[in-house]
Amino acid sequence: MSPNGHVAPNSVDAYSLRLRAALRGLPDSEVEEILREIRGHILERQEGEGDSERLLKILRELGSPEDIGALYRTEALVARARTTFSPALIFGSAARVATKSLIGFLSLLLGLFGYVAAAGFLWCAGTKPFLPDRIGLWRSQYRFSMGIIPPSEHAQELLGWWIIPVGLILGITVIVVTTALLRWMLRYALPPPAARFMRVK
Amino acid sequence: MNTSLENWEAQMRRGWLEVAILATLWPGRLYGLEIIRALATNSDLVIAEGTIYPVLARLLKSGLVSAEWVESLSGHPRKYYKLTAVGRKTTLILAKDSNEFLRKMLALVEPLLRENNR
Repeated sequence: MSPNGHVAPNSVDAYSLRLRAALRGLPDSEVEEILREIRGHILERQEGEGDSERLLKILRELGSPEDIGALYRTEALVARARTTFSPALIFGSAARVATKSLIGFLSLLLGLFGYVAAAGFLWCAGTKPFLPDRIGLWRSQYRFSMGIIPPSEHAQELLGWWIIPVGLILGITVIVVTTALLRWMLRYALPPPAARFMRVK
Repeated sequence: MNTSLENWEAQMRRGWLEVAILATLWPGRLYGLEIIRALATNSDLVIAEGTIYPVLARLLKSGLVSAEWVESLSGHPRKYYKLTAVGRKTTLILAKDSNEFLRKMLALVEPLLRENNR
């Protein structure tokens, strides 16, 4: 049993099969290249000694296919997050690295907060035409709130139909700012690639 | 050893892995298993062998190393890695920075180790 709870594979084919499954989502050509390289590693270490105990030792020292696959997938996700502006992809990357470092965890929190807030602003803008009397920026005796208000609550509406452009602008701005911040934070969420050390001092 | 100390040490080793790989490639091209063997011989970096391949893939994508498949006499092709021009420059800078950093760290930790050994 490997540290991650998976039963260790007992043949090169079983290992390759599980590694292939663990590499799902990567481009096919990349998967084939990775499998070719790892398979070559196992066969070369096995050279001349084909007994099953030696093979099990080699596979154990190589690491579980699931762990290796997860490393490749994380690398690919973070690399894509550094070059894309897609909020879905960037948030997916933040979710993936959340358990790997404090910055990863903070990225996930920021992503959750930012995108939920943006969705709230956009929802207000989009729902106003259907619930004109209940959606707005409200001031009651004790607080300000933006969104839907129960019919029983007495509050003054401040924006009127202006909530549509205001909600749209706020929603889009929060998405853009959250995405830009996440892209910046994700650069630091994993141990940095060696090239970045060049900028240290 | 408690888990948090193990995690801390693992993070430290992981940060050094890329530097060690680049330094290992300095003399010339090597394939994955050769790099692992060189690391085991020349340093105390203990890693699950499979860990090295995603790191090599990252170095390849960042343009610090190039790779080519070469047929071997043993029957299976090997993927050889070598430093690019940018990779050589980077490795040299990393080597200088590492040397400086380690020298300062040693100056910091050696007195306490000496005191503890008394």
